[in-house]
Amino acid sequence: MIEIVATPSPAMIQDLGRVGYQKFGVPVSGVMDEVSARLANYLVGNPDNCPVIEFTVGGLILRFHSSSVFAVTGEAEVLLNDYPLEPWRSYWAKRGDVLKVRLRKGMYGYIALAGGIDCPRILESCSTYVRAKFGRPLKPGDKLSLGYAILTGKAGKTIPRKFIPNLWGDKTIRVILGPNIEHFTAQGIRTFLSSEYEVTPESDRMGYRLEGPKIEHSERGAGIVTEPIPLGAVQVPANGKPIIMLADRQTTGGYAKIATVIRVDIPKVAQTRPGEKLRFKPISVQKAIKELRKREITMKALRKAINDEWFLYKIKVRGKEFLAFSGTKD
Amino acid sequence: MLTIRLLGDSGVLISFGEVIDEEINKRVHALAQAIEKDKPEWLVEVVPAYSSLAIYYDPTLITHEEVISYVSDLKFNVEDVKGREIEIPVAYGGEFGPDIEFVAEYNGLTIDDVIEIHSKPLYRVYFLGFLPGFAYLGGMDERIATPRLEKPRTKVPAGSVGIAGKQTGWYAIESPGGWRIIGRTPLRTFNPKKVPPSIALPGDYVKFVPIDEEEFWEIYKEEWEND
Repeated sequence: MIEIVATPSPAMIQDLGRVGYQKFGVPVSGVMDEVSARLANYLVGNPDNCPVIEFTVGGLILRFHSSSVFAVTGEAEVLLNDYPLEPWRSYWAKRGDVLKVRLRKGMYGYIALAGGIDCPRILESCSTYVRAKFGRPLKPGDKLSLGYAILTGKAGKTIPRKFIPNLWGDKTIRVILGPNIEHFTAQGIRTFLSSEYEVTPESDRMGYRLEGPKIEHSERGAGIVTEPIPLGAVQVPANGKPIIMLADRQTTGGYAKIATVIRVDIPKVAQTRPGEKLRFKPISVQKAIKELRKREITMKALRKAINDEWFLYKIKVRGKEFLAFSGTKD
Repeated sequence: MLTIRLLGDSGVLISFGEVIDEEINKRVHALAQAIEKDKPEWLVEVVPAYSSLAIYYDPTLITHEEVISYVSDLKFNVEDVKGREIEIPVAYGGEFGPDIEFVAEYNGLTIDDVIEIHSKPLYRVYFLGFLPGFAYLGGMDERIATPRLEKPRTKVPAGSVGIAGKQTGWYAIESPGGWRIIGRTPLRTFNPKKVPPSIALPGDYVKFVPIDEEEFWEIYKEEWEND
């Protein structure tokens, strides 16, 4: 069991979302940065969809009431009993140990615990969705029980530096134009693709509101007959300021959407702080799917390497060093 | 006419027109049901709306082109979509419907007229969206159309039945809101512990049935007490 000691900024339990209930009007929710959350789970030997603690900039303090193995991901500062540890790595904690985390960069960090967090499932998911009171943000005194796990051999796992996702540097976000592109003028589309947009403080898990040059609508205007909203949709209401729809977005809406962020770049968007700037770049759907497949192959290989099922080799080809995975240990 | 558009790299939007129309909405649900019945392994979920539906897919298993050709080949029959008729009891006015007097005055009617006009039609559930269990109903009589509150309430109780412009419906969960509240249903219209979680399903027809305060509390106890 772990106990929440302090929540300097909002933290909540999330998994990969409430999939399959949008037709009942239920938002998907789930982690904002899927890559960091899944890697946290891999580091402690959990499956992809295990519930994790998602924390924000100011961090979180918790106390272990039993031995456990944990990992923190994100650009996080990690202290165990005030002793500095590394993120992207798994460690043992004993009963009584106190873990303090907070973020150096980005918006979201993740704590995964071996065996996962035991939590009541609502519509098959542990994801917190505050608006409908599906769970609530964590508060001091909350006690969370952990799932059963064999801890031996679970600590000391690490993500090779080369594979730590870089979600904190360049903020060029790739998008597929549409689905309501005819609601914008050619000039409006040019403005969208050639300007910098700043994430505003009104942003939350539902969507990131951007400030920047006004995007011009065509004579069709900003309104559409209400239709479904995908993850990463860039809605542009009548004021011409784009909103990127994220995990807690409503299932349907009536604003025209100029583009959709590709799945691979969603974590990069999520990790952008208010005040930081984004740029949009168009990409074809074929390329986007290829990128996603490439990412998933790497994720799978990393999970196998972390679980000692695969080996990770350093190889040198013409003086350049590469990392390679191999499927056999002998 | 059917048009297909991309929802990024993980979804396609099938649209049967850009209007709110019962026959078009039936086609939306017929196609949605046909896909769900078929359950292809790449399917993540189907989300119907007024005249369009989103098909979200797993791009590691299939490409958008393959999804589009799958949809183009899929046979579906509008006749297969048979919505149920469900009754929603509503206690109108008083503490349950603080805005009913305004709605009556605004439209030059009596409170009884408002109740009669509101509870007469069979409303079609076009789809559920926006918030959990929120039903987009069609078919409200324009004689009771009333603009939204200028300043939304911070808290509207679950089950509150209201009018916003030409639209009517109920708040499935407690939330802030600017609708003119004319009554409240004691039914738990959205319950995440049940599958399906919503009392009204897309394609159903809803009839509001006026009840008195006593009946309200009787049903309310049954619905909400075992929590």
